[in-house]
Amino acid sequence: MRMGNRAGLITAIVLLVLLMFIPQLAPHLHLAISICTEVLLFAMAAMGVNLLVGYTGVLPFGNAAFFGLGAYGTGLTIQFWHAGFFGSLGYGVLASIIGALLIGPFLLRRRGIYFSLLFIAFGQVFYFLAYRFTDITGGEDGMNFVRPAVEGLGWQLKDESFYYAMLLFFVVVAILFWLLVRSPFGRSLVAIKENETRARYLGLNTDRFIFVAILISAAIEGLAGACYGLSIMFAYPLLLDWHQSGNIVLMTILGGTGTIFGPLLGSLIFVIGNDILSSAIPWWQIPLGALFVACVLGFPKGILGTILDAIERRRGGFAYEARDTMHGTVSSEREIQP
Amino acid sequence: MSDVIFQAENVVKHFGGVRAVEDVSLTVSAGSIQAVIGPNGAGKSTFFNALSGFYKCDSGKVTFKGIDITASPIHDRIGMGMGRTFQTSSVFPNLSVYDNLLIGLQSAAKLAFRFRPINPVQHKTIEEKAERLLDFVNLRASARRPVAELAHGSQRLCEIAMSLSTDPVLVMLDEPMAGLAHAETTRVVDVIRKLHSELGLTVLFVEHNMRVVLSLAQRIMVLDRGKVLAEGTPAEISANEAVRDAYIGKEVVEHV
Repeated sequence: MRMGNRAGLITAIVLLVLLMFIPQLAPHLHLAISICTEVLLFAMAAMGVNLLVGYTGVLPFGNAAFFGLGAYGTGLTIQFWHAGFFGSLGYGVLASIIGALLIGPFLLRRRGIYFSLLFIAFGQVFYFLAYRFTDITGGEDGMNFVRPAVEGLGWQLKDESFYYAMLLFFVVVAILFWLLVRSPFGRSLVAIKENETRARYLGLNTDRFIFVAILISAAIEGLAGACYGLSIMFAYPLLLDWHQSGNIVLMTILGGTGTIFGPLLGSLIFVIGNDILSSAIPWWQIPLGALFVACVLGFPKGILGTILDAIERRRGGFAYEARDTMHGTVSSEREIQP
Repeated sequence: MSDVIFQAENVVKHFGGVRAVEDVSLTVSAGSIQAVIGPNGAGKSTFFNALSGFYKCDSGKVTFKGIDITASPIHDRIGMGMGRTFQTSSVFPNLSVYDNLLIGLQSAAKLAFRFRPINPVQHKTIEEKAERLLDFVNLRASARRPVAELAHGSQRLCEIAMSLSTDPVLVMLDEPMAGLAHAETTRVVDVIRKLHSELGLTVLFVEHNMRVVLSLAQRIMVLDRGKVLAEGTPAEISANEAVRDAYIGKEVVEHV
């Protein structure tokens, strides 16, 4: 924890309250509620990517395969099996995990840039499957489906109620993510990111750790994709495409890798920017690209990471001295950020 | 001498046409402290990497505690009680010294794959062990500082402490003095001596610094161009003509 438990908790509560009143605030900000939902869902997807980029140190440049598998898993099971609201989401996540189980073992054979390239290649396989099997997936046109009612209760969630359901998912995933990165497993992942060879020579079977990280990342992104499918009631091949992967990686890096709230910030900038700026200026992606370049060159820790660093530097020097003798906690002062 | 704990038989490692290690055998007795020396490019590090599983041997056999580990993955070797350091300190630079140790300690306690927090009893055990290790290498004052901020010698000591965190019986040190200032060398030599005398560990190290080698090692193997040039006690090695010619300056030997 970089900011310390209390600061992190306060930030989380303030954010949660803010997010809870979004449906009331959105009209004043001229934002459609569906855009706010989209921000949450891409933030969730970016969280999945962040587990790999920010905590494990592998760059998943084909991650949209998991996002798209979630959306297709949901859409197809609604269409063919008449799955309910939660059931279809469950199938979406399952599709994504199966996808990860299939490609994970191949990805593990390489590291660095080759890992990313393999990831793109395997990701594109799913894109072409969705593109080709027109009878089932609707091919290039994608597939429309209807958002099913909640099982047993018959509730038909839409707009605001759907937003709150997604917020609930988001909060649950964020809490689980926070617990995960602070667990012994999460620390082991950070160690692998820092220095995989050393992690091996401390007895960690790093392949196994990275594989499980990929599965968890796929489950998170699959849930985000499944929810996104239900949100727009549509699944199309571009959701699986590497451009989509690039967008999600961009959000993660923009917000700040290795931070809990960074992906939310990245998603906010990207989705809102896409929505507002694209209607005002057709070439809005140029400033976004410039921002991304500035991020990578000037502040590689992303917007949130840079801010947290600045805060730490202001309080840092003294705090370090004071902590020189240890009293205790196993938790790290540096490794995991709020 | 006592039981053999580690043995390499006819180890061969080629890189393309380069015969980096050619048919090298080595026997390490339990509780001993042995060195591998040789001029630059002699194949010392390659040999070390082949023994520790970083490289696959092209042929030959490596046994540890009587078990064939030639094809064992690194994590299995560590689990059996092997620990090692690298020529350029291999640490987790952005983590604190304490966290660097924690990673190994939770790995040794079979807790690394755990998703739930560590319970208070295990936590206490780990913490005590961490403090013992910090005291052993005298880094307690820097426990909360990121390793990247430490001086080179302290980083090396941190790495040695990390290699101890997994409860090894055999510690392999790859050029522990590489790039250290003179004062730092003394600190590291003291710690290595303590590994052997206080903890009773078997130590195998590669080193360039002859003074260090001759003062620490009980047995020395000299490699030259991938082959064994000589093997024996420090006195035998100092007296060996071939070794003198190939590697050791006369001056150095006479000074020790």
